[in-house]
Amino acid sequence: MQEVEVMRALQWMENKNILKIKTDSKIIINLGEFGKKYQKEKLPERRLLEQLKDNKLILSEINIPKEELNIAIGELKKKAAINLGKEVEITEQGKKLLTKEFLEEKLLKTLPKELKDLTDEEKLAYENLKKRKDIILTEEIKTRTITLTELGKKLTKEKLDLDLIETLTPKIIQDKSWENKSFRKYDIKTTVPRTYCGKRQPYMQFLNKIKFKLVQLGFKEISGPLIETEFFNFDVLFQPQDHPARTWTDTYHLKNPTQGKLPDDLVVNRVKHAHENGGRTGSTGWGYKWNIEIAKQLMPRAHGTAVSARKMVQGIEVPSKYFTIARVYRPDVIDATHLIEFNQMEGIVTDPSISFATLLGMLKHFAIEIAGAEEVKFFPDYYPFTEPSVQMSAKHPQLGWIELGGAGIFRPEITQTLGIDTPVMAWGLGIDRLAMFKLGIKDIRYLFSQDLKWLREARMI
Amino acid sequence: MPTIDISLKDLSKLVGKEITLENFEPEALLWIKGEIDGIDGDNIKIDCKESNRPDLWSTEGIARAVSPFYTKERGIRKYNVEDSDVYLHVDRSVDKIRPYISAAIIEDITITDDLIKQLIQIQEKVTTTFGRKRKVAAIGIYDFDKMTPPITYKAFKPTELKFIPLGFTKEMTLKDILIHHPKGQEFAHLLTDFDKYPIVIDNKDIVASMPPVINSESTGKVTEKTKNLFIEVTGINLDDTQVALNIVVCALADRGGKIKTVLVDYGEKHLRTPDFTPKKIKVKFTEIEKITGIKFSLKELKDLLEKQQYEVKKAKDCLEVEYPSYRQDIMHPVDVIEDILISYGYNKVTPILANLATTGEISPIEEFCEDIRELIPGFGAQELLNFTLTNKEILFRKMNLKEENCIEIANPVSNKWTNLRNAIIPSLMDFLEHNTSQEYPQQVYEVGDIVIINDRSETKTDTRKHLAWALADKEANFTKAKQIITYILTGLNIDFQIEEESNDSFITGRCARIIANKKVLGYFGEIHPKVLQNFSIEFPICALELDLTELFTLKK
Repeated sequence: MQEVEVMRALQWMENKNILKIKTDSKIIINLGEFGKKYQKEKLPERRLLEQLKDNKLILSEINIPKEELNIAIGELKKKAAINLGKEVEITEQGKKLLTKEFLEEKLLKTLPKELKDLTDEEKLAYENLKKRKDIILTEEIKTRTITLTELGKKLTKEKLDLDLIETLTPKIIQDKSWENKSFRKYDIKTTVPRTYCGKRQPYMQFLNKIKFKLVQLGFKEISGPLIETEFFNFDVLFQPQDHPARTWTDTYHLKNPTQGKLPDDLVVNRVKHAHENGGRTGSTGWGYKWNIEIAKQLMPRAHGTAVSARKMVQGIEVPSKYFTIARVYRPDVIDATHLIEFNQMEGIVTDPSISFATLLGMLKHFAIEIAGAEEVKFFPDYYPFTEPSVQMSAKHPQLGWIELGGAGIFRPEITQTLGIDTPVMAWGLGIDRLAMFKLGIKDIRYLFSQDLKWLREARMI
Repeated sequence: MPTIDISLKDLSKLVGKEITLENFEPEALLWIKGEIDGIDGDNIKIDCKESNRPDLWSTEGIARAVSPFYTKERGIRKYNVEDSDVYLHVDRSVDKIRPYISAAIIEDITITDDLIKQLIQIQEKVTTTFGRKRKVAAIGIYDFDKMTPPITYKAFKPTELKFIPLGFTKEMTLKDILIHHPKGQEFAHLLTDFDKYPIVIDNKDIVASMPPVINSESTGKVTEKTKNLFIEVTGINLDDTQVALNIVVCALADRGGKIKTVLVDYGEKHLRTPDFTPKKIKVKFTEIEKITGIKFSLKELKDLLEKQQYEVKKAKDCLEVEYPSYRQDIMHPVDVIEDILISYGYNKVTPILANLATTGEISPIEEFCEDIRELIPGFGAQELLNFTLTNKEILFRKMNLKEENCIEIANPVSNKWTNLRNAIIPSLMDFLEHNTSQEYPQQVYEVGDIVIINDRSETKTDTRKHLAWALADKEANFTKAKQIITYILTGLNIDFQIEEESNDSFITGRCARIIANKKVLGYFGEIHPKVLQNFSIEFPICALELDLTELFTLKK
């Protein structure tokens, strides 16, 4: 049994007034690491004295490791056994000592020994050696004497199996000594110290669950860079360059780096024409002069649709379903309902069969599968890149009606410009509200919690 | 996008039917893509989500659009327009500055409080959003009885002319107005690049305004005594000035004003404004069916469109429809198709679940990151999710590092969020600093994005996935970090070497970099006490940073 286990058992019994514990302590002197070594190869001062027996030596001629030499010289000087000049020379006293044991050597031979049993000479040697590194070791040994109380004695007379197993050890299992014994009963109601296991961030867990849902629904994950050109953020998505949403106050801009590169001229020219006069899309376009320099400007991604824009320029399969959980940036004041950096869950679906009716079908499916909604309602809405556009509210079993997401069919000025002939529906789900509900938080900042206590204690979702 | 203030009483008067919140909000409001933003008795704030429908940004505009919902009004609203003999001469001097002007006269208008409020609202919302802060369109409204036609639109040198700007008492030069008048200061940037400024001036040389900046005190003031109005819109393209003019004129006509045209004389061509000729667009039946997913009969389509204030003109293989001149949001047939759907009612459409043969998939790098995220809690670490926005103080100074080239925001909202992180350890350190009162050991990790500058990359940057882990504990040491690195890398079967790294965030001789396939995968070690002190942390910390994007390529 380990000492701590025995102690726990004894204290338990003392608390129950079964026994009394009397603690005595004694101080034991024992050999330290160097002490043991010197028992074999003699103390350094003895070795030095022996080397000086017949010759005077200069320091470099002495065959004793440097770190021991200083001590050896010091010790022998204290005993007046050597003279120190250019050379080291043995004295008369030293010669006598050649045949006589040092007090320290005597003491080392008798160890281990209790401190209070030392003779005066031994005490002197002990004090001397104590100053040196690891030659002797002083340990306090506590002895606890256990006596049974009246209650304890009474209990022993009763039929009590004192031979209880405290801790089940491999040995007990191997030798089967448990077979005729009982285990000590624990006080199972005692409080235990708190422990924190390593675990996942709750919001990340929530996002993962949604991701897996989307994969189940046949969606492929896509991603894009955090720093984007305005081209992918806005121009590909047919947002005019002087659109209010592109202004300084609504999006972040960069001081460093400032301009990126654009894809090949073909794509850039088609986008330019779509903006200026609709190109070959049957649209009038915005009717202004499109500026390539603005399109090259870099910015932290302002919305997840930039990821879809990039994917469409790279080329999409038909049919296909894509999704992204995109970190986006908006200048705002951070408070309980606003973040300047947050996640948007978005995606696109393309197939010749896509229509407004199938768009609503998909949104409703999301509401049921992802939010556990019982009912949905659709509202006309405006997004600069889709027409028709729709917003969906879902009736959540606990939250009631919530705005869950928006969607639409990309304007032909976007898809046809990129050479995509099938309709592409774009959708986005406002999942943070759901996340906050699942996580039991009222403050959106906790999605990116800086509070270790909250993270440690957050309930599993 | 703009928020419009309206009074329900005023709205009811304009529609001719009693409108209450109860019969407005659930349906008619959706019709115009509006959302209630605030209610104060009879006054409500409406968030107009449609940012390309400036015709809806007034009580009059909303009343007109929702009218078919409450009344039998269908098709395009007809306005009586008479021609006046008023000329507006456009001098060629404005050509390179602000070339277009469209104008109208409104007679016999009763100016009420509601009307003044709405006029101010229209001017502000239309010129701010649609007019791109007056650059594309600026509206001037004047007391026509104080003006003597013909009117001239001409550019003058900044010190050539003087007039009293609205709200002031002294005559000032054009130049001084731009310097001293609050509106002058606000909009000076639209003019100061030019050597002359545009002026609307009458036959008696009385200045009406300096568009797009400010009206004059003499004619540019509309009060309850005003009977007849002169309205002009200046801008950089003709269409936009006409749209904005028609919006204002229709609103005034809806309140009983009589519309009279003005002949705008550009020299070689003349234009009569306002021009209410409806705009036209063709919409194919096949396109309607394909986009809506619904088979409508011709009669249904006609009814739906007329309720949305269109006129259906012809219908063979396609619908030829006309729509009001003040609408400028219709660029493509899809814009009409959405109006058909709104008219039909979104909730009447039966949702159809399309069964597409697609396979779902987590992106391979994300899947790899997720594997790592699942592995680390096994060591006892709590996962974190931090912002990627941070600042140089945390990234460099507190980390005891020299400043590096990194992503910098040009318009930060606070000095706390000025840069994107180039490593995750600083985020962890910042987190630990916030939690020094919590129980130790504290073991945390994050797998997330970092961004570094890369001149060869398309976006001049690379977004990479990193893992960072940190342990703050009295027994935190190099060995613990090395154990985790070794566990991850041997688990992935990566052949790697450890080399001494000199990094001032770490104690010298207790920091190592991880090399595999001659590339640096990351680094780890014991954080330098100076750094701990910078973050006010009193426990030793060992930490590691691993480039998962690099590791992922290696693993492949």
